[in-house]
This record gives sequence, structure tokens and C-alpha cells, in this order.
Amino acid sequence: MQKFSFNKRLVITMIVLIVGFLLIALSISVRNNRNAPLFLQKIGNEAGGIVDRIVGGPVKGVGNAAASIEDLYNTYTENSKLKKEVDTIASQKVENQTLKQENKHLKQQMKLNQTLTAYNKINASVLTRTPSSWQNQIVINKGAAAGVKKNDSVLSRRGLAGRVTEVNQTNSKVELLSTTNDSANRFAVRLTTSDGTVVNGLITGYSAEKNQLIMGQTTSKVKVAKKTKVITSGMGGITPQGLLVGKVVRVVDNDEGMPARIYIKPAADFNDLDVVTVARRVE
Amino acid sequence: MRISKMRYFFPIGTFLFLFLDGSVSQIFASSFFSPTRAVESRLILLWLVLAICYGEVEHLLLWAALAGLMFDLYFTGVLGIFTLLLPFMVYLTRNILTFFKPSFIVVLLIYLIDVTVLTALFYWVNVLIGFTSVSIVTFIGRTLGPTLAFNLASYVLLYWPLKRFFEIFR
Repeated sequence: MQKFSFNKRLVITMIVLIVGFLLIALSISVRNNRNAPLFLQKIGNEAGGIVDRIVGGPVKGVGNAAASIEDLYNTYTENSKLKKEVDTIASQKVENQTLKQENKHLKQQMKLNQTLTAYNKINASVLTRTPSSWQNQIVINKGAAAGVKKNDSVLSRRGLAGRVTEVNQTNSKVELLSTTNDSANRFAVRLTTSDGTVVNGLITGYSAEKNQLIMGQTTSKVKVAKKTKVITSGMGGITPQGLLVGKVVRVVDNDEGMPARIYIKPAADFNDLDVVTVARRVE
Repeated sequence: MRISKMRYFFPIGTFLFLFLDGSVSQIFASSFFSPTRAVESRLILLWLVLAICYGEVEHLLLWAALAGLMFDLYFTGVLGIFTLLLPFMVYLTRNILTFFKPSFIVVLLIYLIDVTVLTALFYWVNVLIGFTSVSIVTFIGRTLGPTLAFNLASYVLLYWPLKRFFEIFR
């Protein structure tokens, strides 16, 4: 009898483990291959989103109250700094408008209706963050109902922050650029050196110790100055062109003299996201 | 009559703590996730452990599995990890508790063991499916240490309120 019950327990354990591994395999293949998660997964996600809005609301309120007290202390110094900057903004705005106008006319002349830089914006606020150190992932409060699609780029206020990995009806998951996931989608980026040479490459990794993105697979053999701005190149067909990724910090050459790796300080702060913009390229 | 009250309060509490984990991670993201540390908030585990020690809850394994499934669905998007890990932690805690009588220090130690096991298993699974490739040394220094520190602090803060709660409605 003792032996029988031991065997039974062993069998149950094995079945549970096998089911678990099958579930993991299934959901990873769904995540990699399909545009939308399975129906059951979607229902769970919608329910989760609703409950999380109820739970998260008061918590966020408390957090905001603490933050606003902190803000109050910083306001004076910030105000005097900003006053100086405001003067320059007006002139920049006018210049921007003129350039936009000119750009529009030139496009009309060239009969270019859609360019790589055109994209639709969907603003979303961040519901929650995955409590895990292996997935830098946030959940935003806009989904398929608002027009979000899988693989759309996500911007923070300052620059590129990540990519949509799962879309439900009213919420979606965003994998941040700081994810070290092997199967994460790579962003195609480019930078322009001071003498006008364009270097194309991919964001191939992220160094957590230094908070720096790594740009690899570069195409050109030129010297890259520090603080050169890196933007998305729009290659690959999903990402819009011209989203700011960050600035070059250092370049590590390999033996042949090709810049093997360019380290980039990201423009977005991946740990301070409350409102994000989903950028969907106009097709 | 009293049992039926717990029947409603326990699931509500379970999901409250589950989503609190996410909200806490989002609000304190800048102090939780830095180049030198990564804190995993595990309030849901604290709730389950104290329920085992001080409460009498029916179908605890089932609720743990459901909470784990919700975690996988909503937070990670990879099913099956917490769905198995959380019931396993309940099973483990129950087995450890057969040797001890619950008190502040004993439950604290059990909880720390649980957090260590859960964090280590979660790391192992993530290495297995290729979501991370950090070394064990980095894992211990960057994730396990800060995680234990944060969860210890949350235990000290929440031990008395939750113990009272479970003893009133047992």
C-alpha cells in the first residue's frame, strides 16, 4: 500500500511537470510567432487589467502624493533653470515650423506621400510592471481596441523605450530595451558622423551594469565621436525612422579596425515610465 | 459562518497582493531596478505563507495555482512558471511547518527560505528558456540579495497586521 501511494504521487508529479513544461513551450511559441495571444490568455489578461486598475489606482495615488511633495522642493531651482531655456524654445519653434512647411512642399514636389518618418501616435499610461528581474516589461492601458499592433515601437518622453510584445483588447505588454532576452526583436539604428558618413547597425544587446545599449553589426569603418546621436533607421519595415535612441558613449574596435561595438547611453529612463507613446508606422 | 467569511476574504486578498507586487514594482522602479540591484517584490508569497501558518483556508493549493496562473498571464506572458512554482512553495512551506510551531522568528526564517527557493527556481527557469544569461554570481549579488532585503522589510511591516487578520477570521 505504501509503495502504491508513493508511485501515485510520483506519477502525479511527473504529469504536473510535463503539463507545466508544455505550457511554457506553448506560450513562448505563441509569443514568438503569432500576432495575438490565445483566446483564453486574452480573457485572463482583460480580467487582470480590470482588477489591476482597481488595485493600482489608490497605490498610484499614494505614490503621486509622495512625488508631488518632492517636486515642491525642487520647483524653485527648476523654475529658474527653465526660464533660461524658454527663450530659446520660441525661436526653435519658429524654425521648426518653417522646416516642416518646407519639408511638406518638397515632399509634394517629389510626390512622396508616405515616408519612413511618418507615424501615428497612440498615448498610453503604464498600468504595472513585471515584478521580475529577468523581464523588463511593462503593461500599458491601450490595446487592439485603440489600434496597437504587435511589434510597434514604444517611446517615452525622451526617446525610444521598447517594443510591444503582446496585444490584448484593452491592454498590452511592452518589452523594454533593457531586456536581455535572446529572442528579443532588434531595432535597426543609424548614426551620422560629423563628416556626414552614415553608420547603420542593430541594437544587439544591453549592458545592465552600465545601463548602456550595445550597437553591433555596424556597416561602416569610420571614427565615431562621443555624444553622436543614434536614431532608428526605419529599416526592417516596422519601426518609424528618426526616433531618438541615445548618444554614443564609447566605441570598442575589434582587430580589423571595424567598430565592433558602439556603446550608447539610452535617452529614455527605463525605470521612470508613467506615460508612453506607441508609434505605429503609417503604411 | 466564520469559515464562509474567510472563503471570500482569502481570494480577494490573494489577488490584491498579486497586483500590489506589480504596482509596487512600477512605483519604485527607479530604486528597485538599477545597475547594481534588481528587487523582485513577492508580497503574494508572504500572504500565502502567513495563511498557511495562521489561517485555516480551504483549497489553498488551488488558489496558489490560480494566483500563479494570473501572474503568468498578466505579468510575464509565459504560462506555466508561477502556476507550478506557487503551489510548490505552499507544499514546501506546509512540509517545513510540520517540524516547527509558528512564531515571528520561525515564520521569518521559513519565509526567507521560501523567497530564496522561489527566486532561485525562477532564475533557473528563465535561464532555461533563454530570457536571461547572467551568471550565478551576478544573480546572487544583483537579484537575490536585494530581493531578500526588500521581502524581509515587507515581512516585518506586514507580519502583525496579517497575523491579526488570519486569527480573527480563522
